[in-house]
Amino acid sequence: MTRKLKNYIGGAWVDSAGTEVIPVHNPATCEVLAECPESTYADVDNAVKAAQAAFEEWRSTPVLSRAQYMYHFKGLLEERFEDIAKVMVQENGKTIDEARGEARRGIESVDFAIGVPLLMRSDGVEDISSGIDETTLRQPAGVFAAITPFNFPMMVPLWFLPTAIVCGNTFIVKPSPQTPLSMELIFELLEELDLPEGVINLVHGGVQASMSVMEHPGIVGVSFVGSSPVAKIVYETCTKHGKRVQAQGGAKNYIAVMPDANMEASVKNIMGAAFGCAGQRCLAAAVAVGVGDAYDTMKNELVRYAQNLKVGYGLDEKSQMGTVISHAARERIETMIQKGVEEGAEVLLDGRKVKIEGYEDGSFVGPTILGDVKPGMQIAKDEVFGPVLSLMKANTFEEAVALINNSRYGNAASIFTNSGKHAREFKYAVKAGNIGVNIGVAAPSASFPFGGQKESFYGDLHGQGMDSIEFFTERKIVIERWT
Amino acid sequence: MSSLNTFGAVLSFAIQLEADFAAYYHQAGNAARASDAEKRKSKLERVRRENVVEITLEPIEGLDEADYVPNFNDTSAAGQAAVERIAAQFYQEVAPKINVKQAERALERCGQEHAALA
Repeated sequence: MTRKLKNYIGGAWVDSAGTEVIPVHNPATCEVLAECPESTYADVDNAVKAAQAAFEEWRSTPVLSRAQYMYHFKGLLEERFEDIAKVMVQENGKTIDEARGEARRGIESVDFAIGVPLLMRSDGVEDISSGIDETTLRQPAGVFAAITPFNFPMMVPLWFLPTAIVCGNTFIVKPSPQTPLSMELIFELLEELDLPEGVINLVHGGVQASMSVMEHPGIVGVSFVGSSPVAKIVYETCTKHGKRVQAQGGAKNYIAVMPDANMEASVKNIMGAAFGCAGQRCLAAAVAVGVGDAYDTMKNELVRYAQNLKVGYGLDEKSQMGTVISHAARERIETMIQKGVEEGAEVLLDGRKVKIEGYEDGSFVGPTILGDVKPGMQIAKDEVFGPVLSLMKANTFEEAVALINNSRYGNAASIFTNSGKHAREFKYAVKAGNIGVNIGVAAPSASFPFGGQKESFYGDLHGQGMDSIEFFTERKIVIERWT
Repeated sequence: MSSLNTFGAVLSFAIQLEADFAAYYHQAGNAARASDAEKRKSKLERVRRENVVEITLEPIEGLDEADYVPNFNDTSAAGQAAVERIAAQFYQEVAPKINVKQAERALERCGQEHAALA
């Protein structure tokens, strides 16, 4: 009998009130790993009440003590590192190395949260007027929640939860129903910390649970990562209900390759950027723009490398690319490839209908490269979220920048070049929140905010870095006179 | 043939290699060398855990585990020198292909330790 997941509310594992369940599949083996409940408003309400009840005691717990919990949490994450990575492979389909990389990134966020006692400090000025002092206090704001995606089921929740709680807030995580098992394991580890009941809560589910989080009046702020259309809905719904919100959306990330780039190093890096995590990440390289003579060399080398990528089950150490998340995702990606072909793109490498021995029913899409892609094609404009790299040609650097800035997304963009001048102009002119120079995946580390512009981000304060301290605290101004 | 084609595949192979060395030296009655192998195994597990980030996930070419199969059945002095030579060769050839300095250094040092016993 398939195991039905429980919510973690008020320090206890409890059944959801919901009767509907969403099967959690291993996308490589098609095995049903568990059933994820579609939690109801009542479940979210219980979590909010538990978090509210815990808030006053928790906020008055010294910040150094709050940070100590994260020291212990980091230790547990290191101890269980391989177990966490394996769970991610099983529910998401990524490779074991990618899962380890995700786990490492998640731990970086815990490291950052350990520094909150320093980062929460605020400032003041004596004698702002005669005998009057003015200071700023940072205070926790209450109950926060995160609605997180399938593609980084461990890392993304940890962008938010550790910092939020060390700042003195209480927290609710609503993970993706496609990949809820990583968070279940993480909460089992968090449970070992003996945090006060209600400081952390886990509510499983899909749309109903998400809407309940967005609409519940007891939640002061929501962090979201997902597609742009949903990010927009989350932003609009949360702001309508008086919440602060940071909603990270989708992307169409461009990479410009200049003729002076070190082509071998560039291509190897672009490979990881385009096909890592089977292209299912918001920093994935989607379009490589070869400038001038770079185009043909880049094209030939990319195809040569990509056709040798070993696609397979993620738990095999030798697999270099795993599955996409589901059969539905595979069909959507293959439809977009076909549309590109119909619109005139040249198929340089076709990953459709790839079959992996022993995993014939798995949701595999092989690395795919489309050449001669033009700006008006759907494949150049819309997010694929799969292992599909489009190649475009630009005659000049300026033309490449114009192509990039024409995108409605603005998550990331990279340039490969040996010219400081072009690198500088790229950083200056390109409208994207994360810029890579000779780096294909411009992923900010935990102490920097995760940028994002245009339709890739809705909100004001980004996840990670000092933005997260701002997001998870209220600033109170105190003006004092003692005579 | 490039069966050691990822960061994880290389590190996991090295970890298993050191586990095999530890068992080999236990069997040979050399507790000190067995302990050294276990320390290297722990170090490599930490290296694998701490150094796998996006930039390490580039394809690795030109390494085949079939080229590095020590004969752990021979515990004679000559046999020990032979298995150490193979391990040293493995680390010397694999270290330059890892694009993270900390991991590269750890692999180099493992290679030096094995070379000293070859």
